[in-house]
Amino acid sequence: MEKNEIEARVKKVTAQILGVDEVAIKAESLFVEDLGAESVQSLELVAAFEEEFDIEMAEDAALKVKTVGDAVSFIATYVK
Amino acid sequence: MRMVVFEDATWSNLAPIAYLRPVFELRCGFFSLYDRLMSVLPCKEKGLWVRDYLVNLAKAKYGLPVNDPSFFTGDLFLVNGTWLIKHGTVVDMHAEGAVTCGGNLVRAVVKEATAQRLWKGDFNAFLAGLPAAIPTHESAEMMMSYPWNFIQQNPALITEDFAAAGNSGIAGTMAKEAVVFGDPKAVYIAPGAEVHPLVVLDTKGGPVYVDKKARIYPNTRIEGPCYVGEETYIMSGANIREGSNFGPVCRIGGEVEESIFHSYANKYHDGFIGHAYVGEFVNLGALTTNSDLKNDYSTVSVYLNGKPFDTGDLKVGSFFGDHTKTSIGTLFNTGTIVGAMCNVTAGGILPKFFPSFTWYINNKFMKGYGLEMMIKTARAAMERRKRTMTKEEEEVIRAAHELTAGPRLAAVRKSRKG
Repeated sequence: MEKNEIEARVKKVTAQILGVDEVAIKAESLFVEDLGAESVQSLELVAAFEEEFDIEMAEDAALKVKTVGDAVSFIATYVK
Repeated sequence: MRMVVFEDATWSNLAPIAYLRPVFELRCGFFSLYDRLMSVLPCKEKGLWVRDYLVNLAKAKYGLPVNDPSFFTGDLFLVNGTWLIKHGTVVDMHAEGAVTCGGNLVRAVVKEATAQRLWKGDFNAFLAGLPAAIPTHESAEMMMSYPWNFIQQNPALITEDFAAAGNSGIAGTMAKEAVVFGDPKAVYIAPGAEVHPLVVLDTKGGPVYVDKKARIYPNTRIEGPCYVGEETYIMSGANIREGSNFGPVCRIGGEVEESIFHSYANKYHDGFIGHAYVGEFVNLGALTTNSDLKNDYSTVSVYLNGKPFDTGDLKVGSFFGDHTKTSIGTLFNTGTIVGAMCNVTAGGILPKFFPSFTWYINNKFMKGYGLEMMIKTARAAMERRKRTMTKEEEEVIRAAHELTAGPRLAAVRKSRKG
């Protein structure tokens, strides 16, 4: 899967889970500080990404991801 | 000398408990910050400076000049309304000068000529100009800048206020079947207050002050330090743990720990409220409970001005703005901010099976923070009770995690589809 497709789907999922406008989501957006993700929503994001990409991620590493761009890169390591 | 008690632009850090009142009306110990200032710094001529939308309310309540520049004649003594002044504090009100704490103005003596020169019509700009205009020094004062500061200072302040009040003993009514467990001199039952049979007032940790016309109903335990305000009722079976403070006309049941109920707040029934500030006319439905300690024992963040803010504290409950109501069974996460005039209702019926190592959040099963974090948290929980997780115990946890993978992953996948 190409990285730009991963990015588009990450942004779509992020918008759904966090209730923000997709156009407001940038690669450098911080999930917590910029997009308002609370701890519970961080868990929901991980779950939603796993569902979206049909992957199982290492939770503790996944939860250390801070930005949308980092999430794209992280997910790319799992996606074939 | 004219005293002006003011709130500055940092008032928003005290949301939501300060939305409907000036910050200096917030309570800690027996009194509000304002009452405390007035008892230590008597001054015949007083004025206030508050947010614009509070002006009419403040005028009606205090009968003082409020946000009135014409009051700025003569020498001024400016006092930050979030300053927690201690009994016996002596302040020099003669020499011109300012005291700051962390860069914020605590108090200032401003001569008339200086005030006339600096005043340009904006109060916050006037305050900002003072440190450059008059001798200023930093001091380690206690500023109640955040809601949790009130909770942190409350237990010690109750004890200090009890001593300063100089009252002790039973001036009201205490049933012979009620018990003081500890120093009886550390109890005061004010005139008109009633302590019913089978009440235990435990003063081993601090004093208990029951103010006028308050009632403590049977089978209640109150652990000091504790202040029960005028006409407040502590309902039957309540468990009031140390460091709690109830303003006037509250109705309190269930379990409360290290919390402040401002006044006219209701928590009639069971449920736990801890390390919380409950605003005026809040009504907490039965079994409303807040968490005040995270399950991983890390410091608690709260939302401050729309952004997460690390309190640096492990024990932080919830902060309820005035007139907020909760339904039965409402459960609040650690460090929750509940605004004023909210109506919060609880979730639905829980499932009957929770697979091991799952987290159940917002009606969904999740893997949570994962096994490594769960082990780290378990280790921390054991160490709090002076036990060390052994290698063998850790191996068993890992084995059980593997053993229970099937039902766990099934539940997680089902939740994602639902």
